[in-house]
Amino acid sequence: MKDLKLTGSRPGAERTVIDVAGVRVGEGLVVIAGPCSVESEDQTVRTAVAVKEAGAKMLRGGAFKPRTSPYAFQGLGLKGLKILDKARRETGLPIVTEVIDTRDVSWVGEYADVLQIGARNMQNFSLLREAGKSGKPILLKRGMHSTLEEWLNCAEYILAEGNGQVILCERGIRTFETFTRNTLDLSMIPAVHSQSHLPIFVDPSHGTGLLDMIEPMSLAAVAAGADGLEIEVHIDPSSALSDKDQQLRPEAFARLMKRLTRAREFIEEMYAREES
Amino acid sequence: MTPHDLYEDLDRIDARLLALLNERMERSLLLRAFPDGAEDAARHDEGSVERARRTALCLAGPEFAAGVYRSIAGECGRLRASDLRTVAFQGDHGAYSEMAARAWDAKAAAVPFREFVDVFDAVQDGIVDYGIVPVENTLGGLVGPVNSILVYADLKIVAAVDMPVAHCLLAPPGADHREIRAAYSHTQALAQCRRFLARNKLEGRTAYDTAGAARRLAEERPAGAAAIASRFAAELYGLEIIKEDIQDAENNRTRFFVLSRSPALEAGGKCSAVFFTEDKAGALFRVLELFARSGINLTRIESVPNVPGDYAIFLDFEGSDRDPRVAGAIEEAKASAREFRLLGCYTERRL
Repeated sequence: MKDLKLTGSRPGAERTVIDVAGVRVGEGLVVIAGPCSVESEDQTVRTAVAVKEAGAKMLRGGAFKPRTSPYAFQGLGLKGLKILDKARRETGLPIVTEVIDTRDVSWVGEYADVLQIGARNMQNFSLLREAGKSGKPILLKRGMHSTLEEWLNCAEYILAEGNGQVILCERGIRTFETFTRNTLDLSMIPAVHSQSHLPIFVDPSHGTGLLDMIEPMSLAAVAAGADGLEIEVHIDPSSALSDKDQQLRPEAFARLMKRLTRAREFIEEMYAREES
Repeated sequence: MTPHDLYEDLDRIDARLLALLNERMERSLLLRAFPDGAEDAARHDEGSVERARRTALCLAGPEFAAGVYRSIAGECGRLRASDLRTVAFQGDHGAYSEMAARAWDAKAAAVPFREFVDVFDAVQDGIVDYGIVPVENTLGGLVGPVNSILVYADLKIVAAVDMPVAHCLLAPPGADHREIRAAYSHTQALAQCRRFLARNKLEGRTAYDTAGAARRLAEERPAGAAAIASRFAAELYGLEIIKEDIQDAENNRTRFFVLSRSPALEAGGKCSAVFFTEDKAGALFRVLELFARSGINLTRIESVPNVPGDYAIFLDFEGSDRDPRVAGAIEEAKASAREFRLLGCYTERRL
């Protein structure tokens, strides 16, 4: 791929490892979990405590929500950021939260450890530049209609601002299939590993939109070598203000985390045995 | 105009009414310090009741207005007759100095004064019982004019408070944080939040006091403006906290002195002194040596320019002048230094 001066793979060089408040992204498997939206302090803190107990390394939660309808819940905004801050103080988990407006970048940066740029904003170039200037780690989701090359070029915008801390995240693309919310393109894991030095995460919650598919797709992502997962977990999904049908209960998430650990051990052992 | 606008107006008016009421009671309380102050003030209060009756407006009718004033006058009279201790501080209500005053004595009435020199004068003239002033800050160093005034003020230090200072960015409730362009505060606070301001592209603008900036923001609500002040100021003026702990360094502490006309009653564990030295080799060393030989631990040495080439030296040390060892060192220092003056022996409280 042309013109990926900073994002493209660097033969012989190490893959990028990003330190997020002590969590090493790009080494081992890092799971980000938490609610789709920050709805209240109680909901966010309880979810944070539960996902931490299950082994999640970072907390996600949307304060600024890019919704399809202007009449849908738009997020708590600044109040949501303060709630996330509270959750971090209670659990010690670093915070990942989305930024959708260039004017919010510095403020979200004051509260969050990782700024997420969502699929709908992947090619919002002024937002990418502003995020690059913030100097904060960025989780860049793949646009739902974007090619690998377009995606990596968006990462290039951030790196070109002098910010090398970019985490890519596959979250499913639009295809003719409508059974699933999106078609989760797991082939992007080896593709990113061959074309770039940046870590690649997978979001099976948006990728499938179906509760039953989150676990098999997570296991598949681990088998394919993903550096991490971003999974939606809600303390009480039936009362959620957004993405009601794709947020795991904490018990289901804890079970998934146990299986993921075993799957990882198995895969690592398999490769290690072959090498020896 | 919507009901929401009207409710907002009501909240703003209530906040101002309470602030003004408190200010009136403070002024009235201070009168008790003057000869015949209590009688004169009571007579003046009677006049206020009558004036309220005469100048009553359309809705606040004569009887209602007079009734409100009679109630205020009664409370002011009760305050003047009480043994409430008064502490002067520089700035507006919600200032860090007021927080320190409350930490020292939660029951005392903290009364605001505009400048540091006003605080010293109020204590000196007996208008208030005590004054509280910041003397040093871990990030900003010496607090401007306070130490220079302390050199010549004929006052005693009766207590010290060492307090963490956590700044907040405050905005009027409902204001959009994205519209904020400027932050008003005391220069010292602006300096302590320099990196935060740069990160968020905010222009720092100087105000005479942190809490004063918060108060003005709440009253005038200028567009695109915020204030840097304490959480206490936010609560007092009904402002929204955009971000807490915005100071650049974690260890931001300020040390305050409580001043009085007479020395502290209890022994305490710390002393402060100020002196000058002769302009010759080893003069300062010889004074410090006296303390070292007596095994007295020095906790602060600070020089403040007096006239060019002449410096006042501030010395803080552990111990009490009731301890013969410390008293001996002080006597020797008085003989060795020029104008050695013990500012006080007191208890220091660290929060």
